Amino acid sequence: MQDWKYETAEDIDQSVIERLQRVPREPDLFVYSLRLIAAGLIRVWMRVYHRLTITGRENLPNNGSYVLIANHTSHLDTISILSGLPIQSLHRVFPAAAKDFFFVSVPRVAFSAVMVNALPFDRHTNIRQSLSLCTRLLDRPNTILLIFPEGTRSPTGEMSDFKPGIGYLLAGNDVPVIPCRIEGAFEALPKGRFIPSPKRVRIMIGKPRHYSHLKRGKSAVVDICNDLQNSVSALASVDSTQATSIAAPEDHV
Amino acid sequence: MSPSAAMDSGVFKIYFVLITTMLLIAGVSIAFLRWVLKKDVGHAWASYRGWLVMIPLIMGGVFLGRIAVILGLTLVALAGFKEYARATGLYRDWTMTCVVYLGLIACGVTTFVVDPFLGVPGWYGLYAALPVYVIAAIVAVPIVRNRAAGQLQVIALAIVGFMYIGWMFGHATYLANSSWAYGYLLYLLFAVQINDVSAYVFGKCFGRHPLRSSISPNKTWEGAIGAVAVSMVLPWVLHFSFPHFGTLELLLIGLVVGVGGQLGDLSLSVIKRDIGIKDMGQTIRGHGGVLDRIDSLIYVAPLFFHLSNYYHGIY
Repeated sequence: MQDWKYETAEDIDQSVIERLQRVPREPDLFVYSLRLIAAGLIRVWMRVYHRLTITGRENLPNNGSYVLIANHTSHLDTISILSGLPIQSLHRVFPAAAKDFFFVSVPRVAFSAVMVNALPFDRHTNIRQSLSLCTRLLDRPNTILLIFPEGTRSPTGEMSDFKPGIGYLLAGNDVPVIPCRIEGAFEALPKGRFIPSPKRVRIMIGKPRHYSHLKRGKSAVVDICNDLQNSVSALASVDSTQATSIAAPEDHV
Repeated sequence: MSPSAAMDSGVFKIYFVLITTMLLIAGVSIAFLRWVLKKDVGHAWASYRGWLVMIPLIMGGVFLGRIAVILGLTLVALAGFKEYARATGLYRDWTMTCVVYLGLIACGVTTFVVDPFLGVPGWYGLYAALPVYVIAAIVAVPIVRNRAAGQLQVIALAIVGFMYIGWMFGHATYLANSSWAYGYLLYLLFAVQINDVSAYVFGKCFGRHPLRSSISPNKTWEGAIGAVAVSMVLPWVLHFSFPHFGTLELLLIGLVVGVGGQLGDLSLSVIKRDIGIKDMGQTIRGHGGVLDRIDSLIYVAPLFFHLSNYYHGIY
């Protein structure tokens, strides 16, 4: 008689907190249920309190892995974008979150990992490791990576220069990247404030862009950063109702 | 069971004092070994810290009463099954895992509700019949989703998970409905842990001959015999827990805990060894997983329950 093949969880020898800190996490019915309930509540809150509107949803690929990038001005940004994605993709979206902020205490780890499935991104000492983790995740089928390439929330609401990490991640990589623009989140919850005010939040989703033909190198990184930054800015310059029709075209740099 | 009943219960008070005293003695002993004899007590300290969390939770639950015990032990069963499902890979089958979770919750509910025919707390008739319904549901899952490949393994894992971790362990929960709940429940929890500790201590001090070398290489005959000896004496020492028990019942209780405890431990070791893991999880620091802590209890609880029920009834 042949032995049974057990597919033991890869994190069997880790504590609950260690399991929440690792990425990708093993599926967990309890965590998935909590995340689903939280996502439902957050969606209602975003739509009612912040009158969230999303344009350009048709630009999101139906399957396959892709990267979402957006400007970053507020803690509302991540949950706004998550609210704009189909609920079925909830557990395969990984918002890159600052390890030095979101993964420094048990409550923060629990919130980041359970509620938003955050990916701990070390933006100071182990950027390469974090980027290689992102690459590994994108190699998995149907993974969505949410990255704020500015690296931190803008204190003024103005978009600052994109960090080169996004360029290194995308150069020569056959993964589409979708630029998004978030408006109103800064007015609702700027850096330093803790209670959001009921300001309108809008998300504009642009057309996918590809950088697989670019060879990895400094110039490609700069080109990608500039191109993405321009495409996010371009989304801002148009009226939200027309955003998808005038958004950056789906072509190469 | 209720806070006021616990305050009036001599049995609860004695166990409270006994366990608190033992915890203090253990703490002082570890401190003595660490600071005076300069011994490495890392493992003992980790285990002790685990007890410092578990004992207040257990005693607090028993103090609060029947609902807290049923709720608490049902959560323990759910946590235990989760570990089992993660270890065996069953958790990748969400539907089957959900069916077993519902079965475990049903165990808690039937333990909680009042028997509509007898009017006593806990509907044992339905509790005893639950495996019929849960197994029927488990077997129906592959049929509903029209899939056959690999389904025997999934069905078997789910049935073992429900029956062993949920239903058998659930008998410990059911003791909360007994007229002698404090005595039965606290004795069961206390004696099973003492049996485990005795096996460890006797094995450490005198262990030479492996008990079951292919299953658990660290367990020895000396440890097992020492534990059985302690467990055989314990019912007489703690006779106040069940003053209505005669000599035969005390003897049998000793045997059930002494032998059953070792078999429970070894049966989980069989599962772990077959899967190829050391612990079922890392839920309780210093102890491994929840299942590693309740392995003996799973085996002993239903035997203890039916022994008591056979001779004196639960109510």
